[in-house]
Amino acid sequence: MKKILSILLTLVMVLTMVAACGGGDTPAEEEAPAEEAGEAAEDAADDAEEVADDAEEAEAGAEDGTFKIGIMPKLMGIPYFESTGEGAIQAGEELGVEVIYNGPTKADAAEQVKMLEDWINSGVDAIAVAPNDSAAMEPVLQKAKDAGIIVLDWDTPTESDLVDASVRQIDNQTLGERLFDNLVKVMGKEEGNYAIVTGGLSAANLNTWIDFGTEYAAEAYPGLNLVTEKIPSDEIQQEAYTKTLDLVKAYPELEGIIGYSTVAPLGVAQAIRELGKQDEIAVVGTATEEDSQDFLSDGSLDIATLWDPARLGYLTVGVAKALLEGQTLEDGMEIEGFGPIELQGDNIIIMGPPDDYVAE
Amino acid sequence: MGKFNDTLSKYRTEKNLIIIFIISFAILGMLRPSQFLTLSNISSMAYQMPEFGIFTLGMMAIIMTGGINLSIVTTGTFIAIISALIMTSEFAVNSPILGIIVGLIVMIVMAIVTGCLNGAFVAYIGVPALLGTLGTSSLFQGIGLNVTKGGAISGLPSQFMAIGNNDILGIPIPMIIYIVVIIFSHYFLMRSVFGVHLHMVGSNPRASEFSGIDIKKVIMKAFIYSAFMSALAGMVMTARYNSAKVDYGSSYMMQAVTAAVLGGTDISGGTGSVAGVVIAVAIIQVVTTGLNIIGLDRNLVDISIGLILIVVLTLRHFSEVSKNKKLIEKRRASS
Repeated sequence: MKKILSILLTLVMVLTMVAACGGGDTPAEEEAPAEEAGEAAEDAADDAEEVADDAEEAEAGAEDGTFKIGIMPKLMGIPYFESTGEGAIQAGEELGVEVIYNGPTKADAAEQVKMLEDWINSGVDAIAVAPNDSAAMEPVLQKAKDAGIIVLDWDTPTESDLVDASVRQIDNQTLGERLFDNLVKVMGKEEGNYAIVTGGLSAANLNTWIDFGTEYAAEAYPGLNLVTEKIPSDEIQQEAYTKTLDLVKAYPELEGIIGYSTVAPLGVAQAIRELGKQDEIAVVGTATEEDSQDFLSDGSLDIATLWDPARLGYLTVGVAKALLEGQTLEDGMEIEGFGPIELQGDNIIIMGPPDDYVAE
Repeated sequence: MGKFNDTLSKYRTEKNLIIIFIISFAILGMLRPSQFLTLSNISSMAYQMPEFGIFTLGMMAIIMTGGINLSIVTTGTFIAIISALIMTSEFAVNSPILGIIVGLIVMIVMAIVTGCLNGAFVAYIGVPALLGTLGTSSLFQGIGLNVTKGGAISGLPSQFMAIGNNDILGIPIPMIIYIVVIIFSHYFLMRSVFGVHLHMVGSNPRASEFSGIDIKKVIMKAFIYSAFMSALAGMVMTARYNSAKVDYGSSYMMQAVTAAVLGGTDISGGTGSVAGVVIAVAIIQVVTTGLNIIGLDRNLVDISIGLILIVVLTLRHFSEVSKNKKLIEKRRASS
């Protein structure tokens, strides 16, 4: 009997503590009872009922007519999706909506579907998902629609007819062309030899950017000469670094390198720094502001181009709120706290042009 | 009453797990009565549980032999991909029912083939299960990736989708499949001659060999059973998500080990209980869903399941120690 009792009490304690943490996710004014709940759990497990009451109060507080919006990343715990989450939660605080930012701990579509099903039952008003796989989302998105929930995708399109809006960080063509404009700007002339170091040969998004870019360059900068096929770096910085060392050795007349994927430009820059060729070879590419600072400072990386993930999270929440308020999407419409948006087709929202990061 | 107590102590693991299940359910129900205790939530849990439960049963059978099967999920997705290819082929589009039947036959054949492959590596070549199944896992994943080029195969016949998304008399079809699997597994792993052999091989392979059990055959059979479970779970997943892809369900791999151990399976082999595993799966399902509804960070959900596992294992350890002590004292007193 003692054993059963101890299992019982421990379990009650664990769950109440956990529930207390969950309370913290609701807007700020409800934090007081949730904190009480946490203390109660530590004090004694048999206070469980009282704690449950507290949590119920917290929940009742959240149901005062504010919208509940669930934003799901591909996975939790990587820097990119941490940043988008910060943006989404900030938007929730500023726009007065309840934002749940949660996703699987592994990039698994099956887990995403299960969590979305749970969200539908928990009574969210809108769902925005960054799908690990678009085909798997179809049945669950249909379920959400049937339940009268507004459905969005963000970061990665589902290509589904079911979504009310699709929030995308950039226009692929704009980014592809921007990188070549940057390369020319840094090289200081519209002709010369350049090379491409990419993340992986089968990465669809990178290939799209490269294709848009090279097509544009053929017309706008016919003097540019790609010295060799695009070089894959397996999304590993070290790999990009060694490949670049070989590249520079093989083509001493090289004047510019474009790096695709968030790590390739860093690896390229690392090699250029080691060779001391900061002034001879122009390096541009897609990298986050934070990661590229070090390389930008001495010119081994000249311009990094990407979008601000936090703003993407913010925009997603903003669009979801606008849709919940019954607004129809229009090109140039103002999203609260964000600014005007660009609309492609009926429901594809482009966050805006990419940002360029240069040495501070 | 004495007999009742005997039964209770025989099923001690299951009894404790049921208590944990009831408590978890009650607490989560109290915290979110309007969302957790709804018909739609209970039905959605009934849709979610089967695929995970069936994978876990497949894992449990191998753990009982003293091994581990790291290929449960990849076997399932690999077979699902091949069956999905058949079911989306031109011939199946023209006659969907025939396509589904051929797809299912291929599924069964492939389950036997993949099970035999794993079994042959472990039982006959003598590769440790950990390494053998790690190898076949990469093999299946590699072939699957090559066939699909990393994408998903979708557009399966709507009749097949019904397996994952419809119900009969209010009971979800995946749940019905799961219940049939549970009953079959209980008799096959717990009550049949093979089941007895499985327990013996797991607890002491050498002794079982000397008592005339063909160990290799037992391990082989266990792997074929495991592959069947993988194939079934893969089929349910494919029907539920209307598509097949290499990395669907990749998070089930370690969760299945957790659920099997929580359900009373001894990680060094020999003991295990189908009922225990089924209840453990239900506990994990209820806790995950409940905490999702509360809106808890997913990392903390994993942490709470880890905590439950650690608490249960610790208690189990101490109860084992005290039981042994009592036995020793009893013997000392009688001698």
